[in-house]
Amino acid sequence: MSQKVPTFSHSQFAHCESGVTSTLFSAYGFKISEPMAFGITSALTFVYLPFVKVNNLPLIAYRSLPKSIINTISKVLHVTMEKRSYKSEQDANEELKSFAKEGKLVGLQTSVYYLPYFPKDMRFHFNAHNLLVYGMEGEEYLISDPVFEETVKCSQEGLTKARFAKGVFAPKGFLYYPKTIPQSVDMHSAIKKAIVKNAKSMLTPFPFAGVKGMRRLAKKIESLHSETNTRYIKNYLTHIVRMQEEIGTGGGGFRFLYAAFLEEAKSYGLNAEMLTEASELIVKSGNTLREFALYCVEGSRKLEKLDTQKIASKLVEASEHEEKAFKLLKMLK
Amino acid sequence: MIEIPHEPNATLDGIQKVMYAKNDQGEFERYNYGSSVEEFATQVAVEEYETLKQECLARIKQGLSSPIEYFMYDNRMDLPTLASAVGMFQWRVKRHLKMRVFQTMSDALLLRYADVFSIDLFYLKDFR
Repeated sequence: MSQKVPTFSHSQFAHCESGVTSTLFSAYGFKISEPMAFGITSALTFVYLPFVKVNNLPLIAYRSLPKSIINTISKVLHVTMEKRSYKSEQDANEELKSFAKEGKLVGLQTSVYYLPYFPKDMRFHFNAHNLLVYGMEGEEYLISDPVFEETVKCSQEGLTKARFAKGVFAPKGFLYYPKTIPQSVDMHSAIKKAIVKNAKSMLTPFPFAGVKGMRRLAKKIESLHSETNTRYIKNYLTHIVRMQEEIGTGGGGFRFLYAAFLEEAKSYGLNAEMLTEASELIVKSGNTLREFALYCVEGSRKLEKLDTQKIASKLVEASEHEEKAFKLLKMLK
Repeated sequence: MIEIPHEPNATLDGIQKVMYAKNDQGEFERYNYGSSVEEFATQVAVEEYETLKQECLARIKQGLSSPIEYFMYDNRMDLPTLASAVGMFQWRVKRHLKMRVFQTMSDALLLRYADVFSIDLFYLKDFR
């Protein structure tokens, strides 16, 4: 049950939650890649909620809610997870310290803002950053943070603040690790179910999510054409880019990550042709979203030349690739 | 094809993030990349807080805004984040952002803000 961690190796990943899951599960004896952790939990999404505001800007997400990978993966792989939240900072610290001294690898949910080892410009109040603690050296925690090339260290004070940050998705000291891992898992069925589920959620009739959500946001972008507050336009467009590229991953990142998952899924006896076709479409969407991000930035750099129609139609184009891909995947056998 | 950008990104302070792209065999692998598009988006967000701070300083001089509002931006917070951090209702925190209300606040109440901002009470009371 609580054996020592046999093999732990730090790696840098595209997205913190899928990356942490990959390292953590692999260390506890269930080897899983980052794309697989992302895909098997149906983590690709698109959400645009104009009525939920963050810094006066709408909530836009390109992946599932924070913690959903960790919560879903235990269900789909029948892994029992130990999950702990804390009311008292002291209890949280004591437990973490004892795990760290044992050399037991555990995952933590934190706020980026309070992690002293992050560059200043990256530190915003984002409460769902995941990292792993693997030991202690003096009074400092040894950390495997998937954003960084090398392992890092963090003081007790900084880590406590990061674990008990308040606000949306407040971590409340959340700590997790796998307790029991099944001998064998029917990956074929788990992957198929996950892909079909993801396809359904991307094709949902709910107007603020999936393919429809992308088009809804495109309409909103078009309407910025009549907006006179240029500072708002600039903040709005770059906010979209930050949600897409920068928070967690980059370079049309979540799309490429999902495309990599579809490729990997081919080795589990699913319809390989269909997966290849869908993977290529998702790559196209990723590339299109990247152009879209570039247009957003160009538009905010030169507001006098802003062409909201051009920006919006790029997003619509990406949504069309995704619609095609997920209509295929919905039929996956 | 997935292109891997190798542009400078000063906001990362020397870190290189990773992304997935295909290698020559057509398999996905992780690659380091740098994106000036991301750099710009981050810089706009960072500068927005600087602008908000400067505007707030002007309002403090006019006796409109309180130092709490200044430190809210200095800590890259918005009203809901600050309210949650101090554990008060938003409407109450919103009042505390006004100089007129700020001047009537007790030390105990101010201390709750000072703790959230990780500053001494002194910096709130004797601002500038």
